[in-house]
Formats: sequence, C-alpha cells, structure tokens
Amino acid sequence: MIDDQPGDPESVHSAAAVPSPARAGDLLATALAAFGLLAELGEMVEDEWTYVTKLVEVGRARLRAAVPDGSRLASPETTAAIHALAAEAGRITDPHRAIDWLSTFPAVAELALVGGGVIAPVRPPAGGA
Amino acid sequence: MRFQDAARDARAIVYAGVQADPLVARLAALAADATYGQRLMARAVMNGESTDRATWGVIFPTVLGPAAPDLERAEALLAASLEVAERGEQVRSQFRGAFVEALSQVLVARRTGAAAVRRERRVLFDGVASEIHPYDLTVETAGREEAWDCKWGARGINADVLNQLDDARRHAAGEERSLRVGLIVFDVRISCAVRLSQQTAPRQGTAVVTLETLDALAGRKATPT
Repeated sequence: MIDDQPGDPESVHSAAAVPSPARAGDLLATALAAFGLLAELGEMVEDEWTYVTKLVEVGRARLRAAVPDGSRLASPETTAAIHALAAEAGRITDPHRAIDWLSTFPAVAELALVGGGVIAPVRPPAGGA
Repeated sequence: MRFQDAARDARAIVYAGVQADPLVARLAALAADATYGQRLMARAVMNGESTDRATWGVIFPTVLGPAAPDLERAEALLAASLEVAERGEQVRSQFRGAFVEALSQVLVARRTGAAAVRRERRVLFDGVASEIHPYDLTVETAGREEAWDCKWGARGINADVLNQLDDARRHAAGEERSLRVGLIVFDVRISCAVRLSQQTAPRQGTAVVTLETLDALAGRKATPT
C-alpha cells in the first residue's frame, strides 16, 4: 500500500537538498503535504473556489499515479527534487500565484518522480521477514 | 471577413514596450525548440519565488542535471526565465503574457510563413459590430485564416474569450468562409480541461493548444480539447 498520508508540514518549509535516497511513498507524502498548503492558499480566492477544488482533486490523483509503488527507493536526485519542490511551494504566499502553482506542481513532481528514476525496491533486511 | 489593426489605447502602448523587449524574443526563441520538460521548467521558474539557479537545478534534475539532453538550451532558458522572475509581480505578469504570444508567433510562423502571421488584429464581418478586444495572433493567408488568443495559464480561459472565438468562427461560416479559432495556453492540459469543464460557453469548434501540444502549432493540426 502506498503511504500517501500528508507528511509533516514543517518539513515542507524547511526542506533543503536531501542527499540520501528515500522511499517513494515518503516523497509522495511530502509532495501531497506541500500541495495541500497550496490548496489552502488557493481556496482563499472565493471566485475560483470551484476551479481550485477540482484542480486539487485532479492534482492529488496525478501525484498518486506518479508513485504506483510507495515501497520503492527513489534516487537521491529525485529525493532532493521533491524536497526542493515542496520547499519552493512553501515559499508561495500569494493566493493567486498559489492557483498557478496548483496547476504546475503535480506536473513538476511527476517529472521528477517518473523521469528521475527509482534505484531499487526496498528489500527486507537479510534474515528478516 | 477582413482583418484590421486594433486601435492602440494607453495600456496597449505600454504593453507594446514589453512585447518589444529583447528578453521576450530571446525567451520565445529558446522555448520554441525546447522539450516539454524544459518548457515546464520555464513556466515554474517564471511563476516561482526562488531566483537562484541552484534551487531550480535541484528541482529539475532531468532538465538541468549533468546528463540532461540539450543542457545548453535548458540553461539558457533557465537564465532568461529567471530574468523574468526577478521583475516585480505586475511586470512579470506582462512579460509572461508577451512571452506566450511571441512563442506562439514563432511556432505558427513555421507552419504558415512569417508574413502571414499578425499580432493584435481585429476580425471584421459585414453587419456585425467589431469585438472590443483584438486577437493576439492571426493568420491572414486567404483561405486558411486563423485567430488565436494566448494565455499564460488555464485560469485565463473564461466565457468572454470562448464566446469571442466562437462568434468569430460562426460569423466566418455565415460568410461561407472558414476561420480556424483557438486558445494557446502555456499550462498543462489537465488544468485546461478542468477549466473548460466549468465553462458553459461554446467550445466545440475551438482548438486548445497546451504546454504538451505546442509543437502542433508549427505543423501538426491541433485538435479541440
């Protein structure tokens, strides 16, 4: 099962380049948390509430589809990319710019998650279950 | 059906200065031959907060990493996009709009020839009041006329622009002429689809070109979304 529960929002703001690989599911959680913050901002534009709501729905679906197996290990480059992308999204404070980012964010994350590659599935420790 | 230059008001005169800025032409030339990933990077940078190269290099490893294809173009596109991002919000917005228009002109001209492509033109029909807003881009080759409106983001799609494009198409048909009409949106397809799904204005005869299908402007026929 893919771990797509929202990650720690603080990590969205403090994220910097992460040198080591991470589980794809953890990256998805980071991306979804950052996307959630953008959604909260975008929803402040009342005239665009319906558009934003639908954009968030399809954006979350696109992010989840980019990580079909959350247990796999992402490359260090992909890991760093998602953390840096989340940090960049966390810098957005203007609700109107947030709406633009709600459109762009899933595509950028997808490029990193799908194009950046996966090193290998996470395997249980030797002798483990 | 005939085409006519739009009268310039004060706002248009100011905007013409932005359109003529060499940065706009440089961005358009770079983006015209860019990949989808490079164009997506340019969109993110021009809409982002960070203005340092290193941050974007980390966010886009497949575009700006050492093994990325056509890295020279990607770096040049990043540099030009950062120049836009470093401007104030209002100027940045104008540059982005002018960029999409210029990019569209470059791509359409590859298919039709540069002489056929015009900017800021009205389309006039007998017995029909002219629209207030000119079209961003027109192709004025007899028998193959086109009218396009350019948008930085899907959010720019609204009832007014859809109605104007559809009206023009229908009025042309009323004169037994064909006018291809469409929207060129520098945004991803799914966002345009979401936006369009919430519009009640007619759009069946309107082509929608998105970030993923920009190259269709230069050759392959764009299909309505």
